[in-house]
Amino acid sequence: MIKALKTMTAATAILAGTAAFAADTPKIGAAVYGLNAEFMQIWAAALENHPAVKEGKVEVTVFDGRYDALVQQEQFETMITQGYDAIIFVPIDIEAGATAVQLAADAGIPVFGSNTRVNSDLLTAYVGSDDVQSGYMEAKYVLDQIGCTGNVVIIEGPIGQSAQIQRLEGNQKALAECPDVKVVEQQTANWSRAEAQTLMENWLTAHPGEIAGIIGQNDEMALGAIEAVKAAGLNVSDFAIAGIDGVTDALLAVKAGDMASILQDGAAQAQGALDLAIKAVQPDYEPMSPIWEAYPDMPWNGGADAEYSVPWTPVTLDNVDALLELRQ
Amino acid sequence: MTAQTDKQRDARAMATEFAQKYGILLALVLVCVILTFANEYFLTGRNIINVLRQTAINGILAIGMTFVILTRGIDLSVGSVVALAGVVSASLATTSTTAGIAGAPYPALLALFAGLIVGVAAGWVNGIIVSRYRVPAFVATLGMLSAARGLTLLYAGGKPVPALTDGYRYIGTGDILGVPMPVVIFAAVFFVALWVLSQSRFGRQVYAAGGNPHAARVSGINVNRVKLMVYVISGGLAGLAGMILAARTGSALTQAGIAYELDAIAAVVIGGTSLSGGVGKVTGTLIGALLIAVVNNGLDLMGVESYYQQVIKGGLIVAAVMLDQARHKQG
Repeated sequence: MIKALKTMTAATAILAGTAAFAADTPKIGAAVYGLNAEFMQIWAAALENHPAVKEGKVEVTVFDGRYDALVQQEQFETMITQGYDAIIFVPIDIEAGATAVQLAADAGIPVFGSNTRVNSDLLTAYVGSDDVQSGYMEAKYVLDQIGCTGNVVIIEGPIGQSAQIQRLEGNQKALAECPDVKVVEQQTANWSRAEAQTLMENWLTAHPGEIAGIIGQNDEMALGAIEAVKAAGLNVSDFAIAGIDGVTDALLAVKAGDMASILQDGAAQAQGALDLAIKAVQPDYEPMSPIWEAYPDMPWNGGADAEYSVPWTPVTLDNVDALLELRQ
Repeated sequence: MTAQTDKQRDARAMATEFAQKYGILLALVLVCVILTFANEYFLTGRNIINVLRQTAINGILAIGMTFVILTRGIDLSVGSVVALAGVVSASLATTSTTAGIAGAPYPALLALFAGLIVGVAAGWVNGIIVSRYRVPAFVATLGMLSAARGLTLLYAGGKPVPALTDGYRYIGTGDILGVPMPVVIFAAVFFVALWVLSQSRFGRQVYAAGGNPHAARVSGINVNRVKLMVYVISGGLAGLAGMILAARTGSALTQAGIAYELDAIAAVVIGGTSLSGGVGKVTGTLIGALLIAVVNNGLDLMGVESYYQQVIKGGLIVAAVMLDQARHKQG
């Protein structure tokens, strides 16, 4: 509702005829795959809270792709028709997104990838986090906890999605360092807490007392596994459990000592992509987001790099309270 | 000689009739026997408890769906109502200061009552649209599927409602004498539904309204009222299932319950309730729901990829309807 009002006021302002205002303020569109889950909401909120947006230097509109590649493509067509200056793209599908990028490129609009990759060499730049790395980090945590010996299970994302493929690659990289560890079960729970809970309940039955570590490729599934362990009357502290993303429930579980999580900084992915997009429209722009200072490992380099990798932050008892504070 | 053939024919007819009447039960028993031999853990107390717990949510939805399908209707909105009732009731039972509504956490019973009301209200709207405004059930509940999901996202701001109180979580994680609460609730719902459909006046009206609505109307049954009531029952049970789900997973998710209506319909259809109304039993639905859960559980235990589970479920649904068609041709 508030957003609709905002859009309406913006439209009225332009109609009112301050042509200079309309020409000077770059219009940047963000096409995201869907706003139903917490992660993308944090991403979108960070975009709207970017200092350049707050100071009115740039006008940002977020388009909800409703988890449909075709919807996203149509939103690209809309943005092209309306003469957007740059587009930030979080595609639902690595392959289908390429057509949309092509459309924008044909219209001469620069596209910046964020969070999820798209199989296209027409992106001006990409700001994301390396999923192979997070997969490695979470598996390494679990393996360290169990002393590089014993049985583990892997709960995977939807087979074929880029995050599942890359996180698995990272999982396997860490597992290769512990040849004594056996993966007794490995199956998808489609990022879903309820599905992971059922899966884990059944695995605990099939391998009583044999599972020491649980590698969840995201937090939701790790949380489902924790509930299964509790439901089976077992002690959560007897298992090494890890997930990825740093969703609020997982932060609370880390605080309770039930699991480990690795925070994916969606806010930095959003704000970094926006800085790059503004730079493309206004060549003398200097980045305004605080993220460049927060992550010295990811230098701005004049906004000229093709790829920016936002570092992962392991959630620990030391930083969990501060992270929870940010979610308020 | 002739007598001999007659006797053979009788025996064959009896066998066919038996297979049709008890086919699904036989299939369930057969699958259980196979799994018992295939996996040493299948027939253990803990696993049986797991299977029942994994049946409970779909089973409760499927019982509501049975009432609706008996009147020739369908309720596609149950999955979305699961999510809506989940977030509304959870927002009253959370200790989180940001996700809850002012004054939360409230006593668990109040939160549970609120969720039930949400489910009943959604069902009531479905029922009014179907019975009074004559909108086909498929369309009316398809609308609710979308609207209730949207309301869920609006209400919760798209975020999960975490940190539910222990009192609230009791309906998902507690137990009575070792029987998990979801199973206890499911059993209670089942026996009440069994009694209502087989013993009560309302039950007979449901069958009459579905079997031959015209005749039912002529004989003085308020068919519109019966139709309204079955959607209210389905909505209320969806609300109940949504709260059990939230209590089990520890937080109410806005994406909860997506596509749950399909599993519920599958359980009803596998259980032998006819989509053309008037014929069917909740015992069939119970067996259908158990069969789905047992197949999933067994394949998980044996480490079979989950994709096979979907293929097998698809086969079961079609086979059950083919059986139903054969029965109709004979009758």
